[in-house]
Amino acid sequence: MAAFVKFWGTRGSIPTPASWTRVYGGNTACVEIRFDDTIFICDAGSGIRELGKDLLARVPPPRDIHLLITHTHWDHIQGFPFFAPVYGQDMRIHVYGRHENDHSIYRVLSGQMSSSYFPVSFKELSDSVVADHLNDGEKKIGGVLVRSFPLNHPGGCLGYSFESDGRKIVYLTDNELEIQDGDVFPDLDNSGPLRRVPEEFVKIARGADLLIIDSQYDETEYMKKIKWGHSCCFSCTDLAIQAKVKNLVLFHHDPESTDRAIDEMVQSCRDRGARHKSGMVISGAREGVEFKF
Amino acid sequence: MTEFDPKITGIVKLLRRGREKHSHSLEQIEGKDHPRPIVLEPGETIIGRAPDCAIRLSSSRASRHHAALRLFGTECQLCDKESDNGVFLNGIKIHSAVLRDGDVIQLADTAFIYYED
Repeated sequence: MAAFVKFWGTRGSIPTPASWTRVYGGNTACVEIRFDDTIFICDAGSGIRELGKDLLARVPPPRDIHLLITHTHWDHIQGFPFFAPVYGQDMRIHVYGRHENDHSIYRVLSGQMSSSYFPVSFKELSDSVVADHLNDGEKKIGGVLVRSFPLNHPGGCLGYSFESDGRKIVYLTDNELEIQDGDVFPDLDNSGPLRRVPEEFVKIARGADLLIIDSQYDETEYMKKIKWGHSCCFSCTDLAIQAKVKNLVLFHHDPESTDRAIDEMVQSCRDRGARHKSGMVISGAREGVEFKF
Repeated sequence: MTEFDPKITGIVKLLRRGREKHSHSLEQIEGKDHPRPIVLEPGETIIGRAPDCAIRLSSSRASRHHAALRLFGTECQLCDKESDNGVFLNGIKIHSAVLRDGDVIQLADTAFIYYED
């Protein structure tokens, strides 16, 4: 069973349409992960709008869509009211809680469609949106083992891993890999040793074909944003190296990051990987790009 | 004094319409036959070794139907046609991608730069 991963929204915090975000994109978080006919959507940032149009145009149209939200900060849910399939009868969109009776995400998605925020009520979506759940954080869906795991982000957040037929994709945003005592930080000349990272994340990401990770900041920016709930790209690279990840995609770009700045961030992470003799392929998440594993 | 000049709206409309008509092209920068400028037409363009490909590749490492370029509206999408040796965008192996001005595409031993005006 081949796995396809397509980026529909790569930006963090707020949509950023601009000439200088044209390459990597300005839409907020939304990633499609597809194992043959089983379609998962990670997050419903503004990128989900274009994905919705694309799903409706597919022949045959998919019947079930599995929506996994990491957390309910705006940049991860704001596209949901503009996700066209929720207004039709042809698709069922399963919105997952972490366990039975966990309807917290479903509630927030419906809450943001109250009349104070949006003209169309959630009740008008008929039965196209279904509250579903993992079982204590994991479930086999369409032959794919989906696991959720807690992340370090203000207000709480979940990461997700997807495994099937020896393929493993990990979606790990929004998360702050905190600097540990003794780590070299800031490592402005990119010469320091690998940083220590939480063992549980290394275990989750171990051997992944693809790790999509929140790397919103470079070293300089992270100095100003410690405890904001996002990571710097060197810590993400170090985690991926230690987990022997095959492909690393830097995700959740800062709204202030220009295409050129992201290019430079990616290159500095590649330099770091090469210095630590890692053969991992590193790229920046870019709207409209699809990988196959 | 009026604050609105109706003549300008016509000019603006014409300019906007012109902008919607992007031109899309490739320039082959590596491989046999380079340099080779290629103007892309709307619709699907197949790239590969087979005689029926609109853009033919001479490399033996290229698949018969290696990749497709799909130009619809203002955007051009590059897709791997299940090639043996893959499609690379700016050095990264991809399955498909929406192209942006200045992207470098590598197919077997051949490389192109994509331009949009």
